[in-house]
Order: sequence, then structure tokens, then C-alpha cells
Amino acid sequence: MSLTNPPSSGSLSRRTATVGPGPLKRSIDDTYDSRPSGAPGYTSKVRVRDRYHIVGFISSGTYGRVYKALGKNGQKGEFAIKKFKPDKEGETIQYTGLSQSAIREMALCTELSHANVVQLEEIILEDKCIFMVFEYTEHDLLQIIHHHTQPQRHPIGARMVRSILFQLLNGLLYLHTNWVLHRDLKPANILVTSSGAIRVGDLGLARLFYKPLNSLFSGDKVVVTIWYRAPELLLGSRHYTPAVDMWAVGCIFAELLSLRPIFKGEEAKMDSKKTVPFQRNQMMKIVEILGLPRKESWPGLVSMPEYTQLQSMVLHRQPPHYHRGANLEGWYQNCLKNGGYSSSSSVGTPGTDGFNLLSRMLEYDPTKRITAEEALQHPYFSNGGPISGDCFDGIESKYPHRRVTQDDNDIRSGSLPGTKRSGLPDDSLMRASKRLRE
Amino acid sequence: MAANYWASTQRRHWLFTREKLAETRDRLRDRDKVTHSQFPLPDQRLLNIYFNQQLIKLGKRMSTRQQAIATAQVYLKRFYTKNEIRQTNPYLVLTTAFYLACKMEECPQHIRFVVGEARGLWPEFITPDVAKLGECEFALISEMNSQLIIHHPYRTLSELQTELSLGSGEIALAWSVINDHYLTDLPLLNPPHIIAVMAIVVAVVFKPPSHPGAFSSPAQSAQSTMAGVARDGNGMNMLAALADRTGTGPPRIQKLVQWLAESEIDIKAVIESTQELLSLYEVWEQYSEKHCKEFIGRMVKSKNLDK
Repeated sequence: MSLTNPPSSGSLSRRTATVGPGPLKRSIDDTYDSRPSGAPGYTSKVRVRDRYHIVGFISSGTYGRVYKALGKNGQKGEFAIKKFKPDKEGETIQYTGLSQSAIREMALCTELSHANVVQLEEIILEDKCIFMVFEYTEHDLLQIIHHHTQPQRHPIGARMVRSILFQLLNGLLYLHTNWVLHRDLKPANILVTSSGAIRVGDLGLARLFYKPLNSLFSGDKVVVTIWYRAPELLLGSRHYTPAVDMWAVGCIFAELLSLRPIFKGEEAKMDSKKTVPFQRNQMMKIVEILGLPRKESWPGLVSMPEYTQLQSMVLHRQPPHYHRGANLEGWYQNCLKNGGYSSSSSVGTPGTDGFNLLSRMLEYDPTKRITAEEALQHPYFSNGGPISGDCFDGIESKYPHRRVTQDDNDIRSGSLPGTKRSGLPDDSLMRASKRLRE
Repeated sequence: MAANYWASTQRRHWLFTREKLAETRDRLRDRDKVTHSQFPLPDQRLLNIYFNQQLIKLGKRMSTRQQAIATAQVYLKRFYTKNEIRQTNPYLVLTTAFYLACKMEECPQHIRFVVGEARGLWPEFITPDVAKLGECEFALISEMNSQLIIHHPYRTLSELQTELSLGSGEIALAWSVINDHYLTDLPLLNPPHIIAVMAIVVAVVFKPPSHPGAFSSPAQSAQSTMAGVARDGNGMNMLAALADRTGTGPPRIQKLVQWLAESEIDIKAVIESTQELLSLYEVWEQYSEKHCKEFIGRMVKSKNLDK
């Protein structure tokens, strides 16, 4: 079976790629000059430059770059064009086969259609590159959270948090009922339109979980940016379930309230043997707030591949809070206090319903964790009046527009943790646990 | 939708009526009448059998699952509704369909490995340059409008297994009938659940007398049993009984007929599919691998499509 999961070309490039956007004009133009004229073979029937006017650069990642564009020739509107970086062999760009994640994203986005999932306009395959054309979204949660820390911290209103969360869960329910796992939910991937609609974005890691041929584990070994990674994944679980997305939603909920990642761990890097290390520091951050997971409340815990690592954590360091039990409630109350959330202020408060929902999302046992469907029925949403489909409803202040640049040295989104896809080794990696078993 | 057939691109964009499919192909032919008369090809189904055998050969050396082969076959069908086969190198197209299907069905293979294997099988038609396959992948995805998620009848079959209390022999036969339906136009003409029901009907009505273990392979058992059935006409009587919904015949079949009547499944489509399958088994008797190979080889070589 060693040959069934070779590294795809895309995942290889992911590790080596860093993210400085090239000069905009050159980058878009490059793709047109690479083909010798008159060469036979594939030619796109649609040309990006015929259909869109590129106005600037938005962001880059290991997958490639995103540009802002305007429709041409009667096609109205603003668009975000994601250009997948082709693999280079030497100096010239060659067809080297598309990465599995690009294929997944293209195929899934083509099928999906929901008010809370980013809308794909079209895909253009042209001159060895893939251009995925999406609707343009003016904001994202990372940028909104960041805005609330400038120039000093001021909380995101409770009504707005509730609308964001409701829409996010609505989009996620749609994905989950269609057997799609997102696997990389984080503030930067939650897009917000100028009219306050939430769109779950970046399905680059999403995949179907209906009876896959190979277990979901054997594909990409580790997913989800580390701060939003569910404990069962940290403990080496082989089974991805929708619960991993729900954990990430819990982390995002907490971050909307506190304006800081709730579990801001440091990622342990892969060693030279390319084994995925146990993410001790990240696990510790979770334990510091939730207390240690216990086998009484999480029966599956003892069969987790990294269970021994968890036990060694207890043996080596025993700060008092390890045994004090869960204090998420303490964290929450503190967070409300610091943020100035209260029913008597204009900010409002998510209240005890909010705490209850958060604690059910940050449930250790994935089988007990609240589902998107259950969450949408939670008192947090059913109590306290109608929820606006515009998360900016009733908000005076304006959020800054997405930064669109013309220059080539803006690596803003690439350098911020939480905006890049970290911890995504290629497909050929073995986990420590697997190595031990063999 | 990704897992909902009813909202899927498969239903919205890749489901043809017989007329529409014939029209689409006529248009392709009219575009290039000269080549058509120059290079007559065997019956499409015979070509499909040949392509399927090549895919299986390719897959065998990589221990690929049947579902990826099935997806590759659907990709081929879709591609050739938009492109004249005589303008392509079918070996390259089928290798590419295989490579792409493996990625979609979560059993990816490295491009170099696929090209290497394909070259081992068809050295005259596959160049060592992986860029050729990469380029063909673009063409394939583009022609399919990135609509790459395929809904297969296998899933419906396993879902209905319990409800219809199907035995393992019946399941095996139904499974092989589903495998065989990819050799026809049926995947472009019917939703997967119709095919699954058709396969179940065939398995229950035409179940071979002995258990399937007696045959060397389920596929062969389906083919040989069914070809016999098609000849002696007994099956047709069964089908007529189904259409009447009168529920005559053995209790096992009565029960199935009753279930069908209650399920609101398009029985006409099921019967038509069954007939399509029976006629496949008739055509199959004329199949000659050598013959297909020669036709395609001559076409590719004389038009330099392998370059």
C-alpha cells in the first residue's frame, strides 16, 4: 500500500512555498507569454483578461495568490480571483498535474450553493494556471477582530457576534449535511460581505466524508491551523468528523468575544524524520482553560494514539490548574468583564446562553460535542429576539475595506499566524503513533 | 450538491435524454464528416468495453478501487460528448481520466507513476513527458466545467441492501451489473438510483441458479447469465410482469414488484435500462480486443494524435 498515497505535487509545493506576491502585472502577464505560439494542445476558450480587469492584489498563500478584479464587457461586479500557483520545473512553467487539494476545491465549489458559503462564479483554466473566480467580499473575521483591537480594544457588539455565529453555523450545517468537512475554519477564512452576510470561504482543505475510499486519515495527515485544531486531532485521531469543524467554531466564538485566540499555542515543527510531532504546547493551552480531559467524560480518550503523550504531560508538569478541573466559565466571565459585555451597556451580552453554547462547542469528547444543527437550535439563538442576516445591522461604525495593493512587498496575510496554512505536511508523512505501531 | 444528487451538477448538466444525446453526437460527427468516413470505428459499446479493459489493466498495477475506474469511465463519456474521439489520442485521454478520477475518489497516484504505468501498457501511444498528461487534465476538467463529483449507483445499492433484504449473491450480481452499465450510455441517461434499482431487479429476477462463488468472476457471471436470458426471452417476460405490477411470479419477485410500485420509482426507466443492458450483453459477443486495438491504433497513428 506504500504507493497509494504519494505526495501530490501540490502538497510538496505547499511546504516550500513562501508567499511574497510577485509584481502584479508581471504575474498575470507571465501566464500569457509562456506558450510558444502555434503549439498544439490545450487552449482555454475563455481568457481571464478578456473577462476581468485586475485591479490589485489581495493576499497570497501557499496555494497561490488572490487578486481583486472587476467584471468586463457588461459583466458587473467585483470579484476575487484565486490564481493557483503552477509548479515550476526549472525556469519555465510546466504542466505537472494539479494538486489533489486544488481538484477538491474546484469540484466542491462547483457543486456548492448556499447564502453562507462563498459563491464561485467560474473557473478558468488557462495557460497552465487555474483561476477560480469568486464573488468579492469586503471583509473577513480576522480583519474585523483586528479592527476591534485598534487603536485600543473595544468589543464586538453581542448582537453582531450572534449574527456572525448564526450565519457561520448555517453555512456549516449546509456543508455538513452535504457531507463536506471544511477542516480549516479560522477567522481569516470566514468572509463577510459589505452587507454583513457571512460566507464560509477557502474550501482548499475541504473534502467529502461520505464513505471515502481511503480513511480520511490517510490523505492529509494533519489539518486545521493549530489554534483551531480539535483535541482529538491533537491526540492523533484517525477519524475526522464534523465535530472538528465545530471545535473551530467554538474557538472562533471565543475569539470574537475576547479578540484573542483562546488557545494560542506554539506549533511544534516536524522533525527531520518527517513525523508529525505531538502538539504538546497547543494541548497545554487547551488544558489550561478546560482542565485535563478525563476518561470518565470522554471514554474514547484512552484509545487515542497520543494518549501516552497526554499522560506524560501530566507527569512532567503539574501546575495546580491541571487538577482544579474546568474553568472555562472563569475564562468566560473574565472575558465578558474585560470586554465590557453587560445587559445594561449598549454592547449587550451573550449571557449564560452564550456560555452554555460555547462550552458545548468546546466539549472534549467529539461524540458529545454539539452539532451545527443542534447549535442553531440552542437557546443562545432562540432567546433574545430576531437575528439579522446582516451582521452590521444597527452598527454605526464602518469597517475598513480590504487592503488591495499594487506593490509586490505586501506579505501581510502570509506573515500573520492564523492566516497561513501551517502544519500541513505532505501526504507521505507518517505519524509518530503509526511509526510506533509498526 | 456534493452529496445530494438532486441538486448536483450531474443531474443538472450531465443527464441527457436519448434524443439529446444522439443530437449531440450527430453534431460532433457533422463537424468532421471526412474523418468519420475515413476512420470507421466499432460500435461505441465495444469501444467502451475496450477502454474499460484498459482502465482495469492500468488500475490493477496500482491496486485501484472499482469506484475510481467507474468515475474515470464517466469522465471519458462526458469528454467524448464534447470532443470527437477521432481528434484525440484515446490512450492519453483514458490515462488522464484515470489520474483525475483517482484524485477525486481519494486514492491519488503520482503523475509520474501513472505515466510510467501507462507507458508500460501502451508504449507506442504514451510519451514519457508528464506534461502531456497534465495538459490533457486541463482539457478534461475544462470540458467538464470542473464538475468532477460523480454520483454512483453503488451507494444506493448498499443503502437498499437491508431494506430489500438482499443476499450476498444478489448483491454481488447487482454490483457487477452496475459495473457493466458503464459500458453503455446509461450513466448519461439515468440517475444513479434508477441504475441501482435496475441492477437489483436484474439480480433478483435473473439470479443464477448456483451461488456466485461458482463463477470465476461476478462480471462474467452477469454477462453469461444475461446473454442467455436475452436469447431465450424469459427475462423479457419477467420485465413485462414488472411493468404490469400485477405481482405474479415467485414470492421474492412479487415482493420486489410491490416495493417498486410503492417506491414511485420510474419503472419505465428501469425497464428501458434493463433492455439496454441486455442488448449490451448481446453486442458483447462480437467483442474482439484485437479488433478495437487495431482500429484505434490506425486512427491515432495516421493522424499523429500521439504526438
